[in-house]
Amino acid sequence: MDWTFVSNLILASVRMATPLIFLALAELYSQRAGLVHIGLEGLASIGSLVGFLVCLITGDPFLGVLAGAVVGIAVNMIYAFATIHLCAEQIVYGMAINIFAPALAAFIYRVYFGAGSELVQVKLMSTVAIPGLKDIPFIGPLLFDQTPMVYLAYALVIFTAIYFNKTKSGLNYKAVGEHPKAAATLGIPVIGIKYLASVICGALAGIGGAYLTTCYSTTYVDGNVAGRGFIALAAVIFGRWSAGGVVLACLFFGFCDALQIRLQVGSSGIPYQFFQMIPYVATVVVLALIGAKKAGPKAVGKPYRKEER
Amino acid sequence: MERTKARGGIRGTKLLNVAVPVVSVLLAFVLGCLIMVILGKNPFEALQYLWVGAFGSLANLGITLNKATPLIFTGLCACFAYRCGVFNLGGEGQFLMGSIVCCVIATKVPFTGLPAILLCLVAGAVAGGLWALIPGLLKIFRGQNEMIISIMLNYVATLFMGVIYTAWMRDGSVPQTVAVPKETQLTRLFGMRFTAAFIIAVVVGLLIYYFLFYTSKGFQLRAVGYNMTAAQFNGFAVKRYILMSFLISGIIAGLGGSAELLGTQYRLINNFGNGYGFDGVSMALIGQLHPLATVVVAIFFAALRTGSTTMQAATGVPTSVSDIIQALVIVFAVAGLAMVKLPQFQAAIQKRTTKKEG
Amino acid sequence: MKKILALLLVLTMIFGLVACASTDTTSQNTDTADTAETTGDSTAETTGDETADDTTDEAAPTGDFKVAMICDSSISDGGWGMSCYNAMVDAAAEHGWTTEVSDSIDQSAYYDSIIAYCQLGFDLIYAPGNQYTDAVLQAAEEYPDVCFALLNGGEDTPGQAVNGNVTSLLPDATQVGWIAGALAGLMTETGTIAFIGGMELDTTKGKYEGYKEAAAYVGEQNGKTVTTLDCVYTNSFSASDKGIEFANAMMDNGADVFFGDASAVDSGARQAIDERNATNGSVTIYDIAQPSDLLGQNECIIGSQVTDNASLVGLCMTAVEDGTFGGEVIYGTMQNGALSAGAVSDLVPAEKQDLYQQYIQQMIDGTFMQ
Repeated sequence: MDWTFVSNLILASVRMATPLIFLALAELYSQRAGLVHIGLEGLASIGSLVGFLVCLITGDPFLGVLAGAVVGIAVNMIYAFATIHLCAEQIVYGMAINIFAPALAAFIYRVYFGAGSELVQVKLMSTVAIPGLKDIPFIGPLLFDQTPMVYLAYALVIFTAIYFNKTKSGLNYKAVGEHPKAAATLGIPVIGIKYLASVICGALAGIGGAYLTTCYSTTYVDGNVAGRGFIALAAVIFGRWSAGGVVLACLFFGFCDALQIRLQVGSSGIPYQFFQMIPYVATVVVLALIGAKKAGPKAVGKPYRKEER
Repeated sequence: MERTKARGGIRGTKLLNVAVPVVSVLLAFVLGCLIMVILGKNPFEALQYLWVGAFGSLANLGITLNKATPLIFTGLCACFAYRCGVFNLGGEGQFLMGSIVCCVIATKVPFTGLPAILLCLVAGAVAGGLWALIPGLLKIFRGQNEMIISIMLNYVATLFMGVIYTAWMRDGSVPQTVAVPKETQLTRLFGMRFTAAFIIAVVVGLLIYYFLFYTSKGFQLRAVGYNMTAAQFNGFAVKRYILMSFLISGIIAGLGGSAELLGTQYRLINNFGNGYGFDGVSMALIGQLHPLATVVVAIFFAALRTGSTTMQAATGVPTSVSDIIQALVIVFAVAGLAMVKLPQFQAAIQKRTTKKEG
Repeated sequence: MKKILALLLVLTMIFGLVACASTDTTSQNTDTADTAETTGDSTAETTGDETADDTTDEAAPTGDFKVAMICDSSISDGGWGMSCYNAMVDAAAEHGWTTEVSDSIDQSAYYDSIIAYCQLGFDLIYAPGNQYTDAVLQAAEEYPDVCFALLNGGEDTPGQAVNGNVTSLLPDATQVGWIAGALAGLMTETGTIAFIGGMELDTTKGKYEGYKEAAAYVGEQNGKTVTTLDCVYTNSFSASDKGIEFANAMMDNGADVFFGDASAVDSGARQAIDERNATNGSVTIYDIAQPSDLLGQNECIIGSQVTDNASLVGLCMTAVEDGTFGGEVIYGTMQNGALSAGAVSDLVPAEKQDLYQQYIQQMIDGTFMQ
């Protein structure tokens, strides 16, 4: 237990939490507009593949991230149309996305690279140190010598916290997730906000996926999202639907994962799966404790029909 | 209740309920063929192999039915719960819990053969039911969303199974448990790949069909699912029905898990049962929450899967094409069925049919 | 009344299905046979396009031998899967066979994929890994006419196959470990080396033990103590992110030479090592690759352990062609040339390269660690 062990553990936690933060924010924006979305896993996987391909072709990881966002939005529009206009069951449609998007990603990869057998690697985004902040002892190099995507994640968290709590537009947005009918009578464009939420959700989920192949790992493998979409869903609940809570939940889950890896290296004898269970068990416990009234936006998961009654 | 509605409307909707899935399947296949053409493959040849792989011989039919078995169980699990208005997405976790308990018992009890099989099936079913009670109780007493909780519990069950096969009950070098003794395995029927598990699955489907549509309890359960508030108003014990539907749907999934373990995989292994829970939900929805239709849909999806392995092996069309076709079927069917239920759409149908009749 | 009708309907449906299938069987079976023949042609075309152009020319006259490989990792993983696939393609090119592959398949789907190839009339199924043993044995029992080659299969596996149609290709795991361990022992500065495994397979354990003992021995000969961190297992061959994290954690524990047996996980580990080296400004942490010569793929690779899987698969193909296949264990050792050391990078100083070659020669002569 020395100093570098601790600092490397924290560094690994941040590294593993960043894609979770993007995905969890995607979920948060979606749920705040009343759309529960379990299809993030799928959106992230297609985002990850497209990000990888664009990064490979252009050599620019930023374009890769951008492309990941675009494809995330595009695929999420299927979800948006079906759940908003056709009032399809949101959970089920999210699941359909989870089956569809990874299959599409696997297919594109296979078609693009053929049955070839060469390891294709991209050049990862380089880290950019923030002058000044990076010289803060201990936390400086851990938090402020990262890729721009990590800073983007922090910035988005701060923006989200301010937007939902301090701005009129943010309160309107939240109203759509709480009482859509009341919101509509106040002249808030419910349908429009739901689509906006889907655009934001798709973009963030796509970015979260693209992060994996442009900032984290140099290669693409099928199934590289590896359940992060669902952990993000857990993080939103565990973080009680607030931006600050969500980011802490992500860091906590990232920390569990990083610790788990290190305990395995030190061979602790405890099956590592128990550490991997933490996010899911924590979510169930939190839900059991807080009760339904505080459990997130009230209209989440419910279809909104303008004409009804 | 339903009979009070205009007959024409009902008939129209019924027709649509069959038409929408069929059209979805056709559309998905058309798109799938387009992809194959773009790949430069002959779609007809590929589809032919898909067919041959799924139904081409008695052996292949056996494989298809065998593959359909777990899907039928998880489909019926989802179907039963949805009929009572609860969204049990935890079919996979319940399925796995059933198979875990089944595996422990099958490999540890001193006796084998039929008594062991029966004990395993019952114990697996009970385990599945108990696992399903967690979201059920949390829904009734804490008012929590059962969907999220059951999804989370799926992961807990999957990881717990991981503990079993990588640590606690690992057998030898590969991370997997020891196989169920030969005498405790379900025997294959007619020399084909499928086992008694398929028969059990179909019987369970028939029983659920009978229960839901021909018993008063089943009627009340459907009434709870149709309109919870009205049912409460009519004095039905809504909470009890909700809990019961969780329990029974968990039992079905758990039974499926143990039957799959005894009939197909024989041991717990990485990715065992992966995706069956969500697959089951799709089957139930495309089957309009009708138990028998769910069975048919499950067989259809199993055929797609079995056939696609052969298709890839024979023509080099990647299996992901078949995955895409399957996903498109779900995408189209779920959207289509939701669309049919829209009030505007219903009104339009009503108008047309009454006009025709009048 | 209605319920009886419904029940009847369902029963007829089920029996109809069964009956349909059984009446159709005869015609369908001939169908399958016909199509199996046409398949031969069509696969020849497709694989000809994809793999080597000369394959088709050679394949046409000798005809219709077909080999299929199943793989749980990707064949473009830059490691195990890629090397095994290339081995099959090379062997097939030499023997004029056509090839097919299914990669990235789930552990629970091994059996299904094998069966699909068996039904399509493939002559040889090539399963590169000990983890396929159970699926191969099950399929081998049901398809006595198909030959199965199990790379890293157990010594007793061929004996377990009732039809005698399974052959184990068994490169000597300890020698594999030695080849890497000797280089690791020479090159480590910190005295700590690491090994990342995919699954806790007997062969992986064997490689780890060989690696550990060779490194300790070579270290001692050169006046240093070399300890090997406990072997970690990712339980997946495709999780390159786990490779990154494991390698980072092990480097934090002072490891400076890595060897692995985990496909895409190894590429993840190499990425993490390269990144750490870049941060440190010089290449001080190394990786040893297997099972083909991967020198140059990553900066940190200083050498490779090379297994000539192509010649092992080639032996199987010859046996299938001659009708003598089955029931044996084909060993791969340094003595028979199946195992060797790949090229060594310039990062290894000349005198250490000489020493390494001496150790390799000792291994071949059987005098290593005597």
